[in-house]
Amino acid sequence: MTRLAVVSAGLGQPSSTRLLADRLAAATAGALPGGVDVTTIDLRDHAHAMVDATLTGFPTGPLRAAVEAVGEADGLIAVTPTFNASYSGLFKTFVDILDRDSMDGRPVLLGATGGTERHSLAIDFAMRPLFAYLRANVVPTAVYAASEDWGGGERLADRVARAGGELAALMGARPAPPKVDPYDEPVPFETLLSGTARS
Amino acid sequence: MQFGIFTVGDVTPDPTTGRVPSEAERIQAMVAIAEKAEEAGLDVFATGEHHNPPFVPSSPTTMLGYVAARTERLILSTATTLITTNDPVKIAEDFAMLQHLAGGRVDLMMGRGNTAPVYPWFGKDIRDGIDLAIENYHLLHRLWREESVDWEGRFRTPLQSFTSTPRPLDGVPPFVWHGSIRSPEIAEQAAYYGDGFFANHIFWPKEHFQRLIGLYRQRFEHYGHGSADQAIVGLGGQVFMRKNSQDAVREFRPYFDNAPVYGHGPSLEEFAEETPLTVGSPQEVIDKTLTFRDSFGDYQRQLFLMDHAGLPLKTVLEQIDMLGEEVVPVLRREFEALRPAHVPATAPTHGSRITEEAR
Repeated sequence: MTRLAVVSAGLGQPSSTRLLADRLAAATAGALPGGVDVTTIDLRDHAHAMVDATLTGFPTGPLRAAVEAVGEADGLIAVTPTFNASYSGLFKTFVDILDRDSMDGRPVLLGATGGTERHSLAIDFAMRPLFAYLRANVVPTAVYAASEDWGGGERLADRVARAGGELAALMGARPAPPKVDPYDEPVPFETLLSGTARS
Repeated sequence: MQFGIFTVGDVTPDPTTGRVPSEAERIQAMVAIAEKAEEAGLDVFATGEHHNPPFVPSSPTTMLGYVAARTERLILSTATTLITTNDPVKIAEDFAMLQHLAGGRVDLMMGRGNTAPVYPWFGKDIRDGIDLAIENYHLLHRLWREESVDWEGRFRTPLQSFTSTPRPLDGVPPFVWHGSIRSPEIAEQAAYYGDGFFANHIFWPKEHFQRLIGLYRQRFEHYGHGSADQAIVGLGGQVFMRKNSQDAVREFRPYFDNAPVYGHGPSLEEFAEETPLTVGSPQEVIDKTLTFRDSFGDYQRQLFLMDHAGLPLKTVLEQIDMLGEEVVPVLRREFEALRPAHVPATAPTHGSRITEEAR
């Protein structure tokens, strides 16, 4: 079954960031032809474990399961509150803990929330470059929800539907690229010695 | 099974008193720890190599030569010798000299080093880390086995008709371990030569190291050195013991909470759950160490980290006594009873390698 991971960096309970994440997930699931297995990760639940992981170098317990769920998903929805014109520190910490190369070629839909629409470009000048560096395959439409959007008629719903459709199309169009496991397929020593392994 | 101590050689304030030992004190403490290891019936003392404060051991063979003169039985080793930034010619010379002085009681562990500035300080580029380890060791391996070496590589001045002196004691090079915590390439390298593989698994969960050691074992067999379970594996360990488990936890907690590697992060209990760290009674140390065999198979060398995080020397020496009296004799017996006959009991020694050579 297609697997969709949803990461919400919202801090409130309830959280408008989580609300947006859920709507994006529903729109994506609705646009995928088959069934979809959705794993939603509230980063708040892993806050302590994330700091520990940055110090020890390994995630433990439920955080490890969250990192694995993101690594194995066919698509990712990543939503953060806007703090000081950018993603939150908690959001970036989670990204820093992800396995190297785990976003490689992965379809990703970006979302952010904020008090006013003045910060809507934070998605484009902060989140997009981050995911570009990770070589993720980010869909063109990203969704920013300011406080007033929650009472703003159909416009938010339209953007959510368009973004979900784009992510679903990308997830359906191409399976995630196969990964070479260096433990299952080690580089033979003669290749290492001839210095051609990395050229 | 060989049991021993490995030390990083850090100068760390004692968090309970704020006292910082001088470099002179720390160096003498390392020697005292090595002597205590022999006295307590352990087999190996291994020192790290570092080129930046707060670490003192920049010159391992100098220290090990001194320890060799003050001990009789102890195998002197490293954890690790930097194969990336040291000249392999100098490693060949230094460790052959040490072999002669120590009567063959020498082996060594190759490592890449994880302190980024050390590479540029020694004129190297950290991005070449794996390539340096591969090429430099290939030269080192030849220097100990060929009288006259012609060499040209990417990383050092070419050699024509070079003879590394002194020649290895009895014509038998020291046994070599390759240490790695994350690189399948190094497991592959160790397997290719039929050398030992040391996984210092003390800071991370076991699943990662099971793959690394599994790869080494499988490739050891692939390269024809024996069956996978005959590959020579070494593991780390980190323990603090008192007769009563609660006393051990109470005494060690401030050292854990402020330790350079993991301090101010997870709790002692969480970290002990996920890694080999054991803080408790000698029996708990025995039980946890026995699980290493369940995770990684029969192995040949177990090194414990005892003297870090600012623990006072007196405490460290007490710990080594407990290790020698209450833990290691039981582990020797238990591991030996479980070991299949075709699996080597210990890593190769100078004596066993001479016998092997003669065959």
